[in-house]
Amino acid sequence: MNMVLQQIINGISIGAVYALISVGYSLVYSILKFSNFAHGGVMMLGSYFGLLGLQYLGLPFPLAMALAIVGSGLLAVLNERVAYRPIRNRNSPLLYLLISSLGVSIFFENFTIVTIGPNFRTYPPVLPTDSLMFGGLSVGRLDIIIFVMAAVTLSLLTWLVYGTKIGNAIRATSYNMRVSRLMGINPDMIVALVFFLAGASAGLGGVLFGIKYTVWPQMGILTLKAFIAAVVGGLGSLPGAVVGALLLGTAETFAAAFVSSAFRDLFSFALMILIILVRPAGLFGKITEEKA
Amino acid sequence: MLLEIRDLHVAYSGIHALQGLSLHVDEGEIVTIIGANGAGKSTLLNSISGIVRPYQGEISYRGKTLTDKAHRVVAQGIVQVPEGRQVFANLTVEENLLLGAYLRTGKASVQASLEEAYELFPRLKERKTQYAGSLSGGEQQMLVIGRGLMAQPKLMLLDEPSLGLAPILVNLIFKIIQTINKNGMTILLVEQNAHKALAVGTRAYVLETGKIIREGSGEALLKDPVVQEAYLGTKRETKKRKEADSATWAL
Ligand SMILES: Nc1ncnc2c1ncn2[C@@H]1O[C@H](COP(=O)(O)OP(=O)(O)OP(=O)(O)O)[C@@H](O)[C@H]1O
Ligand SMILES: [Mg+2]
Repeated sequence: MNMVLQQIINGISIGAVYALISVGYSLVYSILKFSNFAHGGVMMLGSYFGLLGLQYLGLPFPLAMALAIVGSGLLAVLNERVAYRPIRNRNSPLLYLLISSLGVSIFFENFTIVTIGPNFRTYPPVLPTDSLMFGGLSVGRLDIIIFVMAAVTLSLLTWLVYGTKIGNAIRATSYNMRVSRLMGINPDMIVALVFFLAGASAGLGGVLFGIKYTVWPQMGILTLKAFIAAVVGGLGSLPGAVVGALLLGTAETFAAAFVSSAFRDLFSFALMILIILVRPAGLFGKITEEKA
Repeated sequence: MLLEIRDLHVAYSGIHALQGLSLHVDEGEIVTIIGANGAGKSTLLNSISGIVRPYQGEISYRGKTLTDKAHRVVAQGIVQVPEGRQVFANLTVEENLLLGAYLRTGKASVQASLEEAYELFPRLKERKTQYAGSLSGGEQQMLVIGRGLMAQPKLMLLDEPSLGLAPILVNLIFKIIQTINKNGMTILLVEQNAHKALAVGTRAYVLETGKIIREGSGEALLKDPVVQEAYLGTKRETKKRKEADSATWAL
């Protein structure tokens, strides 16, 4: 029983980091209706921004984290300006956006290899790594801190999207960009804001991944799991992305603990395919019905 | 002259939807445009709103060339109530109304407008926390009109506001149009309900395949034999398909 609880706790902790990244996939999808595969690159560079702040600029951890969050947010905005907006302005098929994002992702990776180098780097010990005992359970302090940071960020994001005027504008634009313009909403501004939020959350995710594991130019691949989580939850749904990520994190940890860690990724993809087969729109995705 | 349009041409890949259209709207008027399906009425309103781009011609507002950026047009005080009940289905009724006031500042005055909208349409008040997508068609039409009013525009562009409404509601809508006009709002009204629209309008234009073929006072056009035959004859039913650009996976 303890073993099970232990795995649930581990799963939720890793799932919370996936959630930080999967909300970015979902936010961008909800506005522009494509899967932005450059998102992993933004996360990876966010991780490097944090490292840069800590190791080369000598910043205290909170400032280095802020640098990573703001830096990757701005990077995502720049990414959209340069690589997606020209395509949007031509009303090209959505597929072009997806292809462009794959190109950007390759660019980010190779740019990092050329400028920073291909090797693995580790974060200095900024957060405690010891464990606390609760009854018979040992919970890593790092896992608790990661979970709290992710939960606070996700709550803020949810409040922004569902509880504020600008959030109303984001959701309206995601439903119908043309009509949103008739309200006086500038969709380019909304798109930029959404990319900033997606990039910033990914930046925090990148720092947390960097602390828990290591930093390397291909670490964007980690976000494939976050993408699966977003699909499982229903692409475009913010709560869906969070629930999908927690579910995936837990399922994966269980697979690794009780079956074999070699099966972990197989398990993630199988879960995604199963859910897509049963509910094509994902757990929270709604196929909004049209009214005649 | 509040709004002046000269020699406007719009084409959609191959279809020449507006073919040198000219008209003007003076401050304080209700100008009506009638025309059959596909005549180019919505295209005209969308050109003013900056949603479609004319390839020739000029639109000026208060003597200056009007911006072609949709959100700036709204900031200038020109607001369109689009055809076909285009609510934000994934937002609540109240959130929809508040989005109408997106560019307005001052919480108290926005709140006062909200109360006014609820007074006009008590049905919306009862359903304010409900998703707009779950409203009936007529309720959705009330909502888009209420949403447009929330912007407190100088010039309101109304695209077939009475379409698909029960007669009692049609009367209410036309009454509202007259009331807000008396309170100072200028109105450009596109309608297929020619009888009522010509009756409320100060002046009217008849649009046929992208060109103005008649203009004059509402009364004069009501008596015009061409207009009588084409637009005031047997009542035609029009059905509209509601378009939602991208509704499938909205937040
Ligand atoms: N996005 C578009 N792409 C291609 N053709 C279009 C588009 N929008 C309108 N058209 C065409 O332009 C012409 C004018 O259309 P418009 O919607 O302005 O007509 P309307 O007078 O508003 O008609 P209705 O009374 O049916 O609303 C029509 O022939 C229509 O098929
Ligand atoms: Mg029309």
